[in-house]
Amino acid sequence: MRGLSKRFGGIKAVEDVSFGIPEKGIISMIGPNGAGKSTFINVVSGVYTPDAGEVHLEGEDVAGLPAHAMASKGLGRTFQLEELFISLTVLENVLVGCHTGSSSGILPCGFSFPSARNEERRLRDESMKCLREVGLEERAYNTISQLPLGERKLVGIARALAMKPKLLMLDEPAGGLAAHEVERLIQLIYALREQGLTLFIVEHNMPFVMSLSERIVVLDEGKKIAEGTPEQVRSNEQVIKAYLGEEVA
Amino acid sequence: MKAISKTPIVWLFLIAAIIVIPLVSGSYVIGVMCFVAVLGALGVGMGVLMEQAGIFSLAHPTWFGLGAYVSGILAVQGETPPWLGSIIGAVFVAILSVLIGAPLLRLRGYYLACATFGLLLVVEISLAQLGSLTGGHEGLMGIPPLSMFGFTFETDLHYYYLAWGLCLACLWFLHNLMGSRVGRAVKAFSDSEVAAGSMGINVPAFKLKVFVLTAVMASLAGSLYTFYLRFTQPGIFGFPLLVELMTMLIIGGGRTLYGPLLGSFVVLWLREFIHMYLGKLLPRMTAEVDAIFFGILIIVILIFMPGGLAGWVDRLLGFNRRVIGKAAD
Repeated sequence: MRGLSKRFGGIKAVEDVSFGIPEKGIISMIGPNGAGKSTFINVVSGVYTPDAGEVHLEGEDVAGLPAHAMASKGLGRTFQLEELFISLTVLENVLVGCHTGSSSGILPCGFSFPSARNEERRLRDESMKCLREVGLEERAYNTISQLPLGERKLVGIARALAMKPKLLMLDEPAGGLAAHEVERLIQLIYALREQGLTLFIVEHNMPFVMSLSERIVVLDEGKKIAEGTPEQVRSNEQVIKAYLGEEVA
Repeated sequence: MKAISKTPIVWLFLIAAIIVIPLVSGSYVIGVMCFVAVLGALGVGMGVLMEQAGIFSLAHPTWFGLGAYVSGILAVQGETPPWLGSIIGAVFVAILSVLIGAPLLRLRGYYLACATFGLLLVVEISLAQLGSLTGGHEGLMGIPPLSMFGFTFETDLHYYYLAWGLCLACLWFLHNLMGSRVGRAVKAFSDSEVAAGSMGINVPAFKLKVFVLTAVMASLAGSLYTFYLRFTQPGIFGFPLLVELMTMLIIGGGRTLYGPLLGSFVVLWLREFIHMYLGKLLPRMTAEVDAIFFGILIIVILIFMPGGLAGWVDRLLGFNRRVIGKAAD
């Protein structure tokens, strides 16, 4: 994966940001509120169209493709506010994630052709495997409204995993989680990296980001102000300034 | 999933009831049940479109009417057999709904409702004005009965079985569809278009597919309706039918597949009873009484059973997801 670069007209929510995400790495993006982190993820995942810049996924420029096309290129994501499908069960939410990996159309599905039934069985097995991975197997037939926040975040991750993504982007996965839930999340993220996934995490929770990331990108007012290992970022003056404000002389 | 094991029993019960009803009742009941089936087939598609896919289109009576008119006109001209005319009508509706749906489905909510309501009025007025082709306000007359493979559908009973065949076929098709990846995609984008897109679902394409599918179903129901009545009129496919369908959807419950069919049954039979009993008491007022009665009923249902009768029955029978979830634990 090569450099990602974005610019936005009007209000410059994300301005000329470039960095690379190495394969099988864990890269994080931090920044104060309103720095443009979520906008950035939305641009990369195709929810918003970039005004300028390029997004390269395995050498192919995919910038400006609609979200569903990005998804079929192997770009999975979760949402800051979960955005789960509330009229579906947990298992069905994950099954929606299998959409790109399945192909039965309206007629085979409506007439319940054997091909469609076999595919459905395969998808159910795959989805259960994704749920097992995040530890929500026994919640499969619950509705979303019955789950606490922490488990909803995990459903979001399972749903993205069902897409078999190459790059998984997590938008504030630890937001609002209790300490032991964050611990579980860290274990999960390491396990996913072991399986060869590339992870890009946007997060507020500093200890979480610092302990997990190989590299950190810092965004402030839409601009990249620093990039480096957790230690480098921690001691970077501009980062401290962005977070704590300038020192009063 | 535990719910699936109960489904065949419900289907068997439904099919048995449909076979038994004409054996134990007279032509009056069969006649009303024909309308229940036709409007049920129409309502089931509309329920999926509006309540499950969240596409607030009011043009459903239009597809029904166009299907009726295309097959009716072809049958009157007598050059194509009626069954082929019905298929030509469905293809015509499919093409038209693609052309109209592609730009209109970019609209959402009330805006889509306004645009499709405009379509409803335009088509109704056009049908009335194209006198030489459609028979104008007077309606299209002299439509021959439906015949297929040398068999002519003549009696009410023939149409009863045909209408219920179509209705159950639509129900079965949509039942399979909504339980499949396509149905999940549809429910997904009605919950969150952004998330559905990020899961790889091409939302505009899927919206159009559901729109066209339900339009084709409506068209087939319309063809059947017109061969049953052997007559058709622009006024049938206008605002009153839309109100009728909405009433069915609200009373029956559009979130469940069979809700609109239940709604069709309840609404049509309630109306028959109102006319039967109040017709004697208030001979000049039945239409108004009818309107007031259903108005009040809709309000009561919306307050006490927001899921409609079907939602309420599901809760009663414990078919809902909460119970399925617990059973699977």
